[in-house]
Amino acid sequence: MRTRIVITGIGMVTPLGQNPPEILRAIESGRSVIAPPTRFDVSPFACPVCAEIKDFQPQPYVAEGKMIRLMNREAQLAVAAAHLALGDARVKSGEAYAPDEIALFGAIGLAGLPLAEIIPLVKASSGPDGRFDPGRFGQAGLRAVSPILSFKILSNMPLCFVSICENIRGPNGIYTPWEGQGAQAVETAIRALESGEAGCALAGGCDVKTHELAFLSLEQHGLFASWQEDHVGMAPGEGAVFLVLETAERAIARGARIYAQVSGLSLRTHPSGARRADTFDEVFKGLHLPPEPLSALVAADNGDVSSGKDEQQALSSGKITAPTVIHPKKQAGDLFAAAAGLQVGLAALLAARHGGRVLANCFGYGSEQAALVLEAP
Amino acid sequence: MKHRVVITGQGLCTSLGRSVDEFWRNLLAGHSGISRISLFDTSSLPVRIGGEVRNFTPGEVSGEFPEAENEKDRKIWLGLDAAAAAITDSQLPGDTLQNASLFVGVSLETFFLEDVTHIAHAPNASRDFTRQILEQEPRRRLQTPLDRLTQILGDHYGLSHGRFTNCSACAAGAQVIGEAFRRLRDGTRAVALAGATDSTLNPLALGGFSLLQILSTENDQPEKACRPFDVTRQGTVLAEGAAFVVMETLEHARQRGARIYAEVLGYGSSLDASRVTDPVPNGQGAAASMAGAIRDAGLQPENIACVNAHGTGTPKNDVAETLAIRQALGAHARAIPVTANKSMTGHMIATSGALEAIASAMTLYTRKIPPTINRACPDPRCDLDYVVEGCRRFEGRTVLSNSFGFGGQNASLVFGRFDS
Repeated sequence: MRTRIVITGIGMVTPLGQNPPEILRAIESGRSVIAPPTRFDVSPFACPVCAEIKDFQPQPYVAEGKMIRLMNREAQLAVAAAHLALGDARVKSGEAYAPDEIALFGAIGLAGLPLAEIIPLVKASSGPDGRFDPGRFGQAGLRAVSPILSFKILSNMPLCFVSICENIRGPNGIYTPWEGQGAQAVETAIRALESGEAGCALAGGCDVKTHELAFLSLEQHGLFASWQEDHVGMAPGEGAVFLVLETAERAIARGARIYAQVSGLSLRTHPSGARRADTFDEVFKGLHLPPEPLSALVAADNGDVSSGKDEQQALSSGKITAPTVIHPKKQAGDLFAAAAGLQVGLAALLAARHGGRVLANCFGYGSEQAALVLEAP
Repeated sequence: MKHRVVITGQGLCTSLGRSVDEFWRNLLAGHSGISRISLFDTSSLPVRIGGEVRNFTPGEVSGEFPEAENEKDRKIWLGLDAAAAAITDSQLPGDTLQNASLFVGVSLETFFLEDVTHIAHAPNASRDFTRQILEQEPRRRLQTPLDRLTQILGDHYGLSHGRFTNCSACAAGAQVIGEAFRRLRDGTRAVALAGATDSTLNPLALGGFSLLQILSTENDQPEKACRPFDVTRQGTVLAEGAAFVVMETLEHARQRGARIYAEVLGYGSSLDASRVTDPVPNGQGAAASMAGAIRDAGLQPENIACVNAHGTGTPKNDVAETLAIRQALGAHARAIPVTANKSMTGHMIATSGALEAIASAMTLYTRKIPPTINRACPDPRCDLDYVVEGCRRFEGRTVLSNSFGFGGQNASLVFGRFDS
């Protein structure tokens, strides 16, 4: 890294809670919140479990109450995590940094179109033969739709709500839809800091995979194959995680607490048909890790048999070991677009506690695979 | 070391043409691509017009992309058509692409109501909706992830140096070109394919946008419905299409003797942080985006010679953008021409920024600014030098292109004339 970039704030809204040190302790103690879904009938699906956030209330994080009804769950979680991250870093827009000095880069998953809103629409739009009738759609179907539906399906809305709630006006970008795109958001934020385009950056992601449509899509895309074949697999989760990143120079100048420094970042593209273990190996090579052991490793293994094997194979091939290894996705669920933020945030906490270098693997579905190295300041 | 970045290939698929030559000819002539939508029956909808790519069928592209045979989302096919054209236009050797990066802009997923209507109509549908879909339509996917085009293009051409799928709404097309530019400029890559695709001409998207009351309902005069900067404007008109560019470092382009359309000079982005429904009335967020792009290019406001405006034709955007241009460029704003391509193309959402990047590059390459049509009654609050009389000769050296996203995301790009 050309400029020292540090993490000074961590905001997490996850199935394991909202307090990052407590989330880490829960993971280290082996606690898991993966359980059968409570919001829909999971019996049609190969995957029987997920990781839900219980009792989340967005009100404390949204000053303008009316806005909440425009926000889908992803947006509500994102606004909360962003607020917690900025609070943790003691960064308030307009004080330590001007609003246009703060960048916002995030990742978002597949659209979370609620079936409860869609079923009345499709029913009202169907003709006597049971098929879609565009004429009925205009006459009756549209009336069954809330005018605010668009705010819930436009992919960029969650981050726009973050910008509004936290008065962030700087450089920005939104990526979709898998785990690797969360790492791309962090990488682009680091670029904005290195170039001086931004003085501070909020980077992370949000995703909700704990509803019926998400399960349907994951099943149709073959992501539950491990459940069908091996009766174990990935548990979809929900959550949002944001990190506050700054240059070390600015962070030190304002007396910020520094969790960790980002000392390595490697992003690689995995072409369809290639061996995933080879791509992960390339990711590790891109980090140029010294031969000394790591102090800790945040593994990407989400319970899917093949992905766990591939990660292990690449770690063995790279002779990468660590005395402490945690598997957040196996206990908090796979947060998909928010997963990279969780992996990196936990790695920063481990680096702050153990010292040395901590590896955060941000592997997942899709083509983009990444890993970061966090180091005690 | 900063590398200079140039555009060496362009491809598009729009209602005004499927080749850059045809599109540019129509744009300069002031032809509208807006017409009655024929893709589905719109007779019961409040909005029945759009910028539809006519005479386009997936079959025309599937010969080259057999791996996309089962895709049903129209924006994927439009994107494949435009991206393939850009690569062909660039004359890049095939093996060069393996070290290239891919940047794709998109907006929202297409949800096919016709796929599930008969299931929703069945007894117990509310309770067993997903079970019935899994049993009756196991292979018909309800959602197509927004990175599907990225995946197909990436694998087809072997683009393996980073693949980005940006979903920053109407700013996505400009943001992907800006992000590609930044990564080429810092030397981490030598070649990138960047662009965007979108098709909102489907029942749910068209219906959803019409509920927001930002679309013109002047269905009887489609070609006159989008009137940026006109006092009688009622709203924008949705359109579909795709636009891609091949970008290279200047050294790479020169080494292979590539044709260069224009140079990318600067990129800026900002957030309004105001309301998700409307732009900031005083244009502050948009002005910050323009100022950032000009600063990034190492230029002063006085160096900007033309503005390719976001210019949607909605009552709020056009006033806010005029104020923003005046804030960003100061007194110089009144001295330069401003044009709005959407008066002819309609609003292609994610694609607009990428298409207007091509229009900006062509403005510099051909030394002609396309007109803004339909501004018969000037809005006194929109008081800049809009190009309304027909296409205008242009000897300037820079064009600033604006894209402002629903929700408050703004992106601006500065392009420069390249003299070999």
